[in-house]
Amino acid sequence: MSETRAPGPRGPSDAAPPFGIPTSPAGQPLALADATQLLHLEAHSLDLQRWDEWLSLYHSDARFWMPAWTDEHLLSRSPDEELSLMYCAARAGLEDRVWRVRSGLSVASMPLPRTTHVVANTVFAAPPDADRVELRSAWTCHVYELKRREHHAFFGRYEHVLTRGQAGWRIAAKTVVLMNDRIPTMLDFYCV
Amino acid sequence: MPDPIARLIDDRPGDGVFRVHRDAFRDPDVFALEMARLFEGGWVFVAHASQLPAPHDYLTTTIGRQPVVVMRDARGSLGAFLNSCRHKGAVVCHHARGNRKLQVCRYHGWSYDSAGRNAMIKARAEGAYAPAFDADSHDLLPVARFAQYRGFLFASLSPDVPSLEAHLGDARVFIDLVVDQSEHGIELVPGDVRYTYRGNWKLQLENSIDAYHFTSTHPSYLGLLDRRAQAKERDDVPAAVWQSAGGRQVDDAMGSFGFAQGHAMVWTTSPVERHPLFPRLRELQARVGPVRADWMLRTRQLDVFPNLQIASNAALQMRVIRPLAPDLTEVSSYCLAPVGEDAPARRQRLRQYEDFFNPSGLATPDDTVSYEDCQRGFEAGRIEWLQGAARGMTRVGPGADAHARELGIEPAQSTHGAFAMADETVFHALYRAWRRRLSADMGDGVAAPTTPTTPTTPTTP
Repeated sequence: MSETRAPGPRGPSDAAPPFGIPTSPAGQPLALADATQLLHLEAHSLDLQRWDEWLSLYHSDARFWMPAWTDEHLLSRSPDEELSLMYCAARAGLEDRVWRVRSGLSVASMPLPRTTHVVANTVFAAPPDADRVELRSAWTCHVYELKRREHHAFFGRYEHVLTRGQAGWRIAAKTVVLMNDRIPTMLDFYCV
Repeated sequence: MPDPIARLIDDRPGDGVFRVHRDAFRDPDVFALEMARLFEGGWVFVAHASQLPAPHDYLTTTIGRQPVVVMRDARGSLGAFLNSCRHKGAVVCHHARGNRKLQVCRYHGWSYDSAGRNAMIKARAEGAYAPAFDADSHDLLPVARFAQYRGFLFASLSPDVPSLEAHLGDARVFIDLVVDQSEHGIELVPGDVRYTYRGNWKLQLENSIDAYHFTSTHPSYLGLLDRRAQAKERDDVPAAVWQSAGGRQVDDAMGSFGFAQGHAMVWTTSPVERHPLFPRLRELQARVGPVRADWMLRTRQLDVFPNLQIASNAALQMRVIRPLAPDLTEVSSYCLAPVGEDAPARRQRLRQYEDFFNPSGLATPDDTVSYEDCQRGFEAGRIEWLQGAARGMTRVGPGADAHARELGIEPAQSTHGAFAMADETVFHALYRAWRRRLSADMGDGVAAPTTPTTPTTPTTP
């Protein structure tokens, strides 16, 4: 049970931001192309299994929310009153999941699938502000499951809130809407 | 000809033997018989009444392979019907749930009221129908039997079944322990959770009452609880039931009950301080008595044979099992909660539920992937017998033990001991009922499989 699967560097979540995190001059919001760049960096970090890089894209108090559907076209409105597929009130909850994958103690994470995220149709969801932008995008994650050598895909919509903190622009909140929610076997942070 | 189902259960208590044959999980003929006899020939759970609170509310579901609609009529009575227009067969209700006074078939426009009665046949007067047509019923066909126990709705497509009370038997006591957690009953927290796995449905039925897997399947979950307990600054996540102040405790007592109808229950005592009900313990003791209040705070895993599971541990969960193929199963998972629960308790309940029970959580994926590993292993066709119903064999006894007696129930078998005993005899009653239901001559025209299936004798390669 001591096998450790996950490749990539290890370290504190703030230590290893990936190359290319966008910036903007003080008093100016991120341009749409730069904000999109941050979303693309996140997708690549997940697919490259560079979990520390991925975590470094989040503020420590970032909220990660994957609401459940409450009706055919209605989503959970409040994570404290209705069910979510995933809810992390802070980045520590994502760090828990990375720890679990790396622990070698989770049979569901061995072997990890190969994944490819595609993020597209990114727009500002609200007027951008000097220190905060809200984005909406479409996503697909192709999952190639290695035990059976079979492929399936999850797809949906992202809503990102990016804010400017001490270290620069980072993710302050991310909502993942999963359209095909009859989940084949399991789902974790790396396949949405 | 030996009974092809009986040969799958090697039940010799005098020799200390109880074994289940792998064909029970992989043989398509066995699966067809299970669908006919268990899922389409007996009581199955279909819905919870709180899903249909108002007149004309409906939801669509499946009994075995058959489309079903459950509706509440204008007067508030619930009914369950085959969801198929009497005219040309089209499914009448298309949505997962909704509210409609009139269900109109989208093909030729026949309509039905919320009691299932035919309300209109389009252009009937001009249709030149013969009297023979008028003599037929044009109503939606109700299921053969439909009944509820305290909000849990069950149906049978066969009329030849015992009463629901007789079918549930003492499983009702464990439903009571759920419903009585609040004076106002329980509700399903909104939010759909559904997943499939590539394995036999009985793997799910077994796993919930399998105490043996817990420490070896879920070390990453238990490790996370330790990790959170050590991080004193963490306030982003409420503590889980198993996360006691001094770290986890898994050495407590456990026990099991097996019932003649195939229902089964495994209980463990666990640290109660983190239980969502703990703050209300005194109120519960006053309302339901100290014995039942104590049982409400125990970890309880109930199987209501064949398709309902109620787990009371990290939170309160209801699972509904839907077999799709011998090696494919759909699970619908619901979060149950006391009506009127306060906001902090509800929040803690949701987080514990999501962490443990979600297919996107930190524990259930390790179970589900293990079922798939079993099903893949079953393809090793020359191995006949599983060895997974043997723990506890020298401790299990017939009838009620002291724990059953304090609840006033009469199980077919009981056992209790240290947690590490991790009893597996709890599967015996389940498989005895399974064998009895599949082997019986029901006079229903459903033949038991008569052809040899997977070779059951080792051959030399």
